[in-house]
Parts: sequence; structure tokens; C-alpha cells
Amino acid sequence: MKRKSITLLMAICLCIGGQTGCGKEAENVQTAPDVQTQEETGVINTVFNGELEHNVTIQVLENDTAVSKGYFASLIEAFNEKYAEYGIVAVDANMNQYLDLANDGPYGYGPDVLYQANDIIMQYAEGKHIYPLPVETMECFDQIPETAWAAYQIQLGETAYTCGVPVNVQAPMLYYRKDLLPEDWEQVWDENGNKIPDMAENWNAMYAYSVSRHEEDGSKYGYMKSLFDVYFSSGFLFTYGGYVFGNNNTDPSDIGFSAGEAEKGAWVLSQLASAMNEECIDDSITTNAYSKLADGTYFATITTPDMYSTFLDEMISAYEEEGLSEADASAKAQENLVMTTLPKLPESGDLTEEGNFLDAKSMGGINGYAISAYTKYPNACLAFVEFATSYEMMVNRSALLGVAPARNDAAETAGGTSQLLYDNLEAGNIVLMPSIKEVSQIWTPGETFFTDLAKDAFRSEGEKKYTDLEAMKKGLEAVDQQIYDAIFTLK
Amino acid sequence: MRSKINVGKILDTTITYLILLAVAFVFFFPCLWLILASFSRSGSIYSFDGFFPAQYSTASFVKLFTDTTMYNYPKWFMNTLLIAAGSCALGTFLTILTAYTMSRFQFTMRKPMMKTTMVLGMFPSFMGMTVVYLLMTQFGLINHLGGLILIYASGAPMGYLTQKGFFDTIPRSIDEAAKIDGATNFQIFTKINLPLSKPIIVYTALTSFTWPWSDFILPKLLLKEKNLYTVAVGLMSLDETEFARFAAGSVFIAVPIVILYFCLVKNMVNGISEGAVKG
Repeated sequence: MKRKSITLLMAICLCIGGQTGCGKEAENVQTAPDVQTQEETGVINTVFNGELEHNVTIQVLENDTAVSKGYFASLIEAFNEKYAEYGIVAVDANMNQYLDLANDGPYGYGPDVLYQANDIIMQYAEGKHIYPLPVETMECFDQIPETAWAAYQIQLGETAYTCGVPVNVQAPMLYYRKDLLPEDWEQVWDENGNKIPDMAENWNAMYAYSVSRHEEDGSKYGYMKSLFDVYFSSGFLFTYGGYVFGNNNTDPSDIGFSAGEAEKGAWVLSQLASAMNEECIDDSITTNAYSKLADGTYFATITTPDMYSTFLDEMISAYEEEGLSEADASAKAQENLVMTTLPKLPESGDLTEEGNFLDAKSMGGINGYAISAYTKYPNACLAFVEFATSYEMMVNRSALLGVAPARNDAAETAGGTSQLLYDNLEAGNIVLMPSIKEVSQIWTPGETFFTDLAKDAFRSEGEKKYTDLEAMKKGLEAVDQQIYDAIFTLK
Repeated sequence: MRSKINVGKILDTTITYLILLAVAFVFFFPCLWLILASFSRSGSIYSFDGFFPAQYSTASFVKLFTDTTMYNYPKWFMNTLLIAAGSCALGTFLTILTAYTMSRFQFTMRKPMMKTTMVLGMFPSFMGMTVVYLLMTQFGLINHLGGLILIYASGAPMGYLTQKGFFDTIPRSIDEAAKIDGATNFQIFTKINLPLSKPIIVYTALTSFTWPWSDFILPKLLLKEKNLYTVAVGLMSLDETEFARFAAGSVFIAVPIVILYFCLVKNMVNGISEGAVKG
């Protein structure tokens, strides 16, 4: 009886299992169009045929700062007004800015238009989750430099496809407080008399001031930054000849963190660490820099331009706590918080030696819009991207969020640091984050090295690992090898 | 001799109390720190004077409920309350039914079912997350609070063994006496066993409420829209500069649980004592 029951159960299971193959393919799982096929059939023109879909709602994912500062609300309001006659409505996708399009998109839960950094968009592009765009037909095409477009290009066979539209340039910027400069800075800390403090012009002066500020008061510091962060620290290596991948960041077999005289960049970092405290080893400074700069504990730090408003808010709060009115606090904060491009680095790598200086290079990124391959309304989405990257909207974005536009005309109008950042991009001083998937392997080995380098500043003389340039070179070569192994061992 | 005993007793009591105080401090200190941090005036963890905030204010709580542009805490709170209350009602109902059936009725697959549920209960719930996600996409229940209620409620009867143990302690002779008097199975359950089971129903309701109230993995997996987030997912999505909001949100999330506990614990104790008298 028992055996019969088991046989019957197994037979039922077999029948049910067999039946599962008979159903229709799930209707709500969409498949991304094959990009390879697009090359053959010119499906870009088929998808983006210029015929706007009528009476549709498109979901747009923006970054949190644009939402919180009200820019996004003004953008969709203006777009909806312009396209009201077609019944096209753009709405906030209302999702976490760190979305997972690869998993959610196929089931119809991703946004139609997304705003992300170039490396993220290109990872989606490699997975065919993003539509290649007819960028040559867009109004912004001529205004955006070739380097910015290149960050969104994917090569398939002979053809390069562009999968995103650059919106703003992200690169490390120096933030410092003008009111924390020494009273006599114009006499002592402005050697060339150009009314810009030397600390903002070269790292030697920044280091010297950091040391003197900390010596005067043990609880105060000059320049502070979490050094383990590869995004911010690798620029020091790039200035002296280092790079991420060879062949314009497209060849992952050529890893160059140790290339040229990159060890000099490591030495600069190690000297800067000696004027900080042990919080530079982990991400403590990254998270506390906003309040510590506001309360005057730190004089300067570096981070991306989109964090300007966060620094400003913290400073306003600090001034309000000191008893100033909201308007006065805001005016004072805007006057005292300075955001500028990175200081120059000494050619020798020695922060205590007088000599020539090199323009600082930094790792950067281009944030931009892309269109999900799972959208049902590609033409409406393209219209939104076209609208959002127009001159007016880019200028508004820059004014409200303090970001540097990728459009030349908008950068010119914005002026100030936006123009400087744009010029740096064109001059090649901003090394864009590679847009290939292998970039995901650079972070852990890089972080390990920079953490070790930062720790070295707090080790006793006998225990130091990186005592000279040769040791630093070896450390960087080990990083290159670790990245290479991570990419190719299991390939 | 008497004084020796007293000294020993005093020493014993003192040491016991010291140990209890130390243990209580270890458990209480993080809660105290979080509560005080949520009242920090600056809102930044880095402006603390040592361990505790330098100045206090209720600004974080005001911000938590008024500044909802980016982080809509009131909405998250109501979502969580809805999910927890729904799961609590449905889950308790299903668990009690399952436990009562297993305790009172004899049927062919009873033992194998009990063994199977016991073994299945040993697997961590997140093991089936991929399947749950795929099933929910097929049913169109992603981004639906009802989907979460269904999952929590349907998973709750897996832990029916405690309740079954309770029903086992109620003498069957009561059921038999009622049967002789002409009561149906449904009447025996509703009129006799259910009133005697108040403590276990309260216990089941509390556990069915607290699981979805504090769960993170499932809502994170199934809720994509920010306005549908639960408090746990919402708090995790806060920006790194939002510590004060995080602390205030974490403190406030404990309020309903505490209220529920104080409302229900009386029934739990009364039920137990009533049962003891009857037993």
C-alpha cells in the first residue's frame, strides 16, 4: 500500500512537471532587444522613430539631491506643461536612486528614464538593459565634448553605440572655509599675490597649513579626507603617470596604478595622512566632514560638487546655532564656503620642498540620462531626455544644485567652478571612470593599498611598510597584479 | 551562627543584584544612547560631547513627521502598521486553526505533515526569497502591501508547534463531555477551547505582529516604490547625513510594540492564571 502511494505521488509529480512546459511564455516578462541585431537592422531608428506616443506616463528616476532641492519637481512640471498637448506625463519613479534595473526591469518595475553615473549606465548597456540612443540628432550633441560622449559608448563590431546623454561632470573638488584662513593670509599665504590663498593653489601650502593649524590647537585640523577611497585618492597617482586601464581605459589586461611615477602620488598621500588623525584610515572623515567643516574642526576636504548644498546646509545650521538669523546664516555660509578645483601637486612629490608644480588629475565621472530597454514609450522618453538636457534646464540644474554642466554653453553661463571643471575635462585632467565591467575589480585592491598607506602614517618607525618610493612602487605593482588576477583568474 | 548566615545571604543577594544590574546595563545602554541621540539638537553624531549629545531638542522628531519630501516616515509607518496588523489578524487565525487541527484531530497524513513542517521550519526563511520574488511577479503582487500580508500570514502556521503544545494541555475529556451534550466540533472549538486559549492567542498575535513589524528582507525585495516602504526599509535608505532622523525613527518604531505589549500582557497573565485554577 505504501509503495503504491509513493508510486502514485511520483506519477502525479511527473504529470504536473510535464504540464509546466505547455504554458504560454510569461507575458509580463519583457526581453530586452538584442543590440547585436540592432546593428544589422538599424532598429535604433525603428525604436526611436520620432512618433511620440500619446497619452502616456513615463517614470523618471532622478538622484536624491535633485529631488530634495526641488529641481526635479520643476523639471517635470515644465516638461509636462510643454507636452500636455500629447498627453505625455513625466512622474517621479519614486524608487531608490541605487536601483537594480537588471533584475527589476524585465518584470516591468524599473523606471523608463534613469539618471545615473556613466559606469553604472554602461554596465546596464553591456547587459542590454539600456537602449542605444540616436544622439547625433539631439540638440545637445554639439555642445557636449567628445570625451563626455565617449564615456557612454559601447563598441559592437565596427559600430560604436551611445547609450546615455551626459548631464553633469563629477570630479573631486576642494572645499574649504574662507573664514578659517589665518588673519594674515594675504601677507603670508598668498605668495603670488593673486588673492587666492596658496592652500587652494598647491598641496605644499595646504600641507604646511594643516601641520601648523594642528600644532596650534590639537583638536583642529587642516586638510582631512578618508584616504582609502580609491575614487578620490587615485587622482594623486594619475598626476604622476598612473592610470586605470590602458588604451583609453578600454584594455583591462593593461592595469596602470603603478605606471610612470605613480609612487610619488602615494608619497603625497602618505605625507598628507601624517597631518590628519587615524580617522583617515576608514570612511569616518567622509561621513563626518560635513559637520566637522561646519563646526570648524576641519579647514578643508575634497568631495564631489553635488555635495555643495549639503555642506552649505550644515554651515547654515552651525551659524544659526551661534545665534544668527536664517537669512544672515545663509549669507555668511555662502560667503565662507569655497568650492574650487584641486590644488597643484609638486613635481618631486615632496610636500616640503620648493619646486615646480603639476596640474592635479583626478578620477571623475559623467552623470547622465539613459532610457530603459524595457520602456513601452521610447519616443516620449527621448523627448524627456532632450528636454532635460536643453540649455535652460542644464543652467537651472547647475544654479540650483551647484553641479557642473556637461554642456559647453551651460558651463559658460554657470561660470565659476562649473567652467573650471568643464575646462579640466577638456584638458584631460579629469580621468573618467572606465565604462567597462572590469572596473568593478579595482576597488577592493585599491582600498586595501590606500588603507595600508594611511595606517603607515600612524605606525612606529620600525613598523612602517612604505618607507621610501621603492616600497610604494612595489605596493602599487601588487595592486595591479591583484586587479589583474581578479579579472582574469576565473575568466 | 545566625550572623554568619545573614552575612552570606547579604553577600549572595548583593552579588546577584550586581550581576543583574551589569547585565541590565549592557542591554539598556544601547537603547538609552539611541533615545538620547534622537533628541540631539545638532542632529549629527559627530557633535556629541563624549558619548552623549551636547544639547537636546525635539527637532529631529518634528522633522521626522513634517519634512516628508524625500523621506516620508509617516507613510512608511502607516504601511508597516497595515502590514503588521493584517499579518497579525490573518496569521493568528491560520496558526490557531492549524495548531488546533493537529492537536485535536487524527487523520492519515497527520504525523508526516507534522514532521515535514518541523523540518521545513528549520530552514531560514530567506532561502526561498528568489522563489517568492518570482511567484510574486507572476501574481502581480510586487509593490503591493497585500502581497506581503499574504506571505507573512501564510508563513505563520509553520510555527504552530507551540500553540499545538498548548492545546494538548487542555484535557480532551472536556471535548468529550461537550460532544455527549450534543456540541459540534465547531462549537467545541469556539465555545470551549478558544476561551481557554486566550494566553496562547495573545502570544501568537504578538509574535505575528512583531515579525513583519521589524522585518527587512522581504519588504526590501518586494517593495520598489519609496512610498510603499516599511519603516525598516525606509530607515535603511536614509542618507549618511541623516543620523538624527534615523535615531528618531528607530525610537518611534518601538512605540506601537510597547503599547501592544502593555495592552495584551494583562490578558496573557490572566489567561495563564485562569488556566491554572481550572487545571
